Amino acid sequence: MSSRIPDTHAEAWALLPWLANGRIQASDREWVEAHVAGCEECRAEVAAQRKMATAMNRSATPEEAATDEQRSFNRLWARIEASESASPASVAASEARPTMRSSRTVRWLAAAVVIQGFGLALFGFNALRGPSEGIVTVTDDAPASRPNAPTVSIAFAPGASIGTVNTLLEHQGLSIVSGPGTAGNFTAELSADAVASGASANSVADVMAKDPNVTFAQPIQH
Amino acid sequence: MALKSVESQAPRAPVPGPDASERELLERVAKGRDQAAFRTLYGNYYQRLSRLLARMSVRREDIEEVINDTFWVIWTKAGEFRGASQLSTWIIGIAYRRALNALRRAKIRPVSDEPFDEDSISVASTDEAETDGQWLSLGLSRLPVEQRMALELTYTLGHSCEEVAAILDCPVNTVKTRLFRARETLKQVLPSLAGMAGENS
Repeated sequence: MSSRIPDTHAEAWALLPWLANGRIQASDREWVEAHVAGCEECRAEVAAQRKMATAMNRSATPEEAATDEQRSFNRLWARIEASESASPASVAASEARPTMRSSRTVRWLAAAVVIQGFGLALFGFNALRGPSEGIVTVTDDAPASRPNAPTVSIAFAPGASIGTVNTLLEHQGLSIVSGPGTAGNFTAELSADAVASGASANSVADVMAKDPNVTFAQPIQH
Repeated sequence: MALKSVESQAPRAPVPGPDASERELLERVAKGRDQAAFRTLYGNYYQRLSRLLARMSVRREDIEEVINDTFWVIWTKAGEFRGASQLSTWIIGIAYRRALNALRRAKIRPVSDEPFDEDSISVASTDEAETDGQWLSLGLSRLPVEQRMALELTYTLGHSCEEVAAILDCPVNTVKTRLFRARETLKQVLPSLAGMAGENS
């Protein structure tokens, strides 16, 4: 911080929090420690601050944070995917072409798992063998989507049967138009009839999110 | 299930790594749009930011939104980080500013105006640590958010004075003043902690 040696009580006192947490600058450490060694009040203050730091750390662990983390990340990733699929030009304009090596692996794994659960004929997808990896993936041979149709990003529980998923989609007037994405989410489009009856991406996502067979449902903003 | 596949692919660092390794992760995000690197960074900061935002009185239902807004910025601006500061101060600084915006939107008062209720502290508890924790929560709730953040960043997250100044976007002397005032206020409401310092002052 400076080369001078202040050695005044007030200046040392102001730096005691970082003497207590071990992050005081090297240039200050020597003179502050020297002051504290001869100052009873500062020694007591350092001890009190260490005690405070211990108390703050003890009370600082949110119990549910770990369980929320993956769910939160899934939501963020769905948002990123929705944004990048909505504006492919911006992705193409980035300096380096996205390699998504790990994402691709995940995508293939996700597709394999989803196909295993849903069956190969579901949603009109064609199952293929990967060219080199030998992993099952899906094509985008999906129904043509309507421009500006309300869409929802959605993921299903592992135990959900084909019949259950189809019923769920049918009841809400949804049809899958693409997916699964990197996080395993499908994009589902709301039918014109459902829109005419007052349904929206928000309302449908709210209903779907409450269903135990659905692990994630969120409207996609156009 | 598909979502679990993502989880299993994300190498998780239980303890935040040194700045150099996190910069490498950021570089992978910037140049390769690498989801695994992004997921690791997210995991490195999720708990720290959750804790910090809770301490700022950000509503529980808004914490995830603030964290995800922060990482949205990191995803889109990763290539613009020039390394003039520690990566952690950049990330936590973004979260801090997003949180301030969230607090303004929610019109949350940063300082509690409610009377200090000493009766709410359990006198039946013989656990000194538990009692300290209760006093501490009450004491912290009495502080302006800027002082609370200076305390949290210093004592819980272990940042240096200069790093705290960078995160809060204020001069170093302002950080020292905030901590000084916070310490004085807490001494008045934390009998155990204040007593320890007060015995000799």
